[in-house]
Amino acid sequence: MKTLRNLQGPALTLTLLCGLWLIVILGLLVLKPSVYNLGTVTTILQFSTILALVGLGQGLVILAGGSGIDLSVGGTVSLSAIVGMLGVKLGLPPVLLPVVCILAGAMLGALNGWLVNGLALLPFIATLGTFFVYSGTALAITGGAAQAGVPSWLLLWGRGVAMGIPVPFLTLAIPCFALAGLLLLSTAWGRWIYAMGFNERSARLVGIPVDRVRFILYSLSGALAGAAGLVSLAWLGSGRPNIGQNLELESLTAAMLGGIAITGGRGGVGGVFAAVLLLVTLKTGLLQLNINTVWQVGIVGGLLVFVLLADRLSQRWRS
Amino acid sequence: MNAVRQLGNGVFSMNGREWSLLVACLLAIIIFSVASPHYATSGNAATVLRNSVELLLIGLGMTLLLAMGGIDVSIGIVMGLAAIAIGRVLGADGNPVLALVAGPVVGALLGCVTATVVVLGRVPAIVGTLGLLGVYRTAVFVLLGGQWLSGLPASLTNLLATTVLGVPVPALVIVAAYLAVWLALRRTPYGLHLLAIGNSEEKARLSGIPVIKIRFVTFVISGILTGVAATFYVATYRNVEMTIGSTLALDAIAAVILGGTSILGGKCSLIGTVLGVLLLRILQNGLLLIGVPSLWQPVVTGVLIIGVLGFEAISNRFPVVQLLRARA
Repeated sequence: MKTLRNLQGPALTLTLLCGLWLIVILGLLVLKPSVYNLGTVTTILQFSTILALVGLGQGLVILAGGSGIDLSVGGTVSLSAIVGMLGVKLGLPPVLLPVVCILAGAMLGALNGWLVNGLALLPFIATLGTFFVYSGTALAITGGAAQAGVPSWLLLWGRGVAMGIPVPFLTLAIPCFALAGLLLLSTAWGRWIYAMGFNERSARLVGIPVDRVRFILYSLSGALAGAAGLVSLAWLGSGRPNIGQNLELESLTAAMLGGIAITGGRGGVGGVFAAVLLLVTLKTGLLQLNINTVWQVGIVGGLLVFVLLADRLSQRWRS
Repeated sequence: MNAVRQLGNGVFSMNGREWSLLVACLLAIIIFSVASPHYATSGNAATVLRNSVELLLIGLGMTLLLAMGGIDVSIGIVMGLAAIAIGRVLGADGNPVLALVAGPVVGALLGCVTATVVVLGRVPAIVGTLGLLGVYRTAVFVLLGGQWLSGLPASLTNLLATTVLGVPVPALVIVAAYLAVWLALRRTPYGLHLLAIGNSEEKARLSGIPVIKIRFVTFVISGILTGVAATFYVATYRNVEMTIGSTLALDAIAAVILGGTSILGGKCSLIGTVLGVLLLRILQNGLLLIGVPSLWQPVVTGVLIIGVLGFEAISNRFPVVQLLRARA
């Protein structure tokens, strides 16, 4: 029975998410029909790119269990974007901007990984601390000012649209999700992640290098956040020190909504992808309906609480 | 009299951790006094103490939460919501008595909401309170309607800015809250159960401790203390701004960790939290006065959290430290 239930899990999540998505779309259609054109799709996907990258990292960290969580993702996005721009200002060749952003993100993520693994700090407290360090540093070293000077070839990539789909989404978000899906489903590494998320003790006993996998996943989450920072540079044309605001909440909501269990070991990246699209469609819809943006954080937070409670309730009913 | 002495035995007792915090406070004061001519004034000392009032009250609640293995990152915005309620009551008819009740009541209610999600819903505290933080932030914006709540009547201020026998009312309330929390923690089954849950929730449940009840009550206590903090906030500033309480939760967590309460639960120090709050506020105030922009404050607080926990983790690996721990 248990295996059957597990098999049904991802499919069930995806069906539910598609249903919710249709409700949001239909609601919008009734309230404001003028929204429906290719431009809106492009906008939604453009906004989705950053959240998709960050949500993927968050999802993988949570999936690997050990009460894993990365609250610092928003700070990592801001700081790696700022580090990249400051690097260019200090005379770094602009060609290296993508490398610097992603590398900076990976190093910030590796610091999280070391705190969690090497020092055995609780993930939520370690990444809460680094969240304030990263986001605070991004704000403080710039004094809150946006950093201009993104090279034009990067803007060409960041703002390009192919067949209605933004180029960063096509060339970064989709390949990352495809790779992560492949990794989880058909490599030993993927099996290890599920195994350690499901039962860390057993995973250690059968010889899975739990610590190494976890360290790499935190670094990966950081690198993906760095890539999201790069996307923000290429799209907005400047490094904004507060670009990562609320991303810790939104990425958590995306991961939970996407069917990843907060305790780890259950869920997949397909659900996260669908959840990101749902969240961004919802946010864009609210924006189109002229609802104040202050409602967004409340709705995302409320969704997070709702999803977690619904998950618990459904578990109780099924057992 | 003897019974009272026995009851209060160890109420302010300090160990190595607390003494080193005290030394750190004094060192910070000396360094800042040398570095800035504006630092060592009675006015500045009053400012630091004044700024510590809310954090002391919230820190007491956060100590209980962390000792239990819980956390509440929404607590600062909870104070904001309670402050809005107090402001509305005050603004309506200026009745300070009703305003005094409003804070703790709203705090307790929001504590119930948090507890319902986290305890009854069995959601990890960090994730549940992060979600609620988003909801509460929207609530603050919507309730304030994009404007500050300002120009509140002075009746509450007049009531709380007075002194009783030469002691300011906030100090009295803080000492009373400290004693109440200390007694609950050290002299009642509640405290014992709380620490047991912090050590291992599973073992606590197996040994018959009413885990759910204790955890629920603790969130409500933390809410009430936050409501009291909101009362002092409104009385002092007589306005409520949009960003109220945005860094309070981080400050409270940092103060509690500085104070030596174990985030893994089972160990806590109330006097450590008090000293942690003072050290944090002394540092923040001093850094501002020697010209460090306030934007750096969250960075400093974050570094303190990670630094303290990291230092403990590394020092625990040395056999000498373990030997000293065992003897203490």
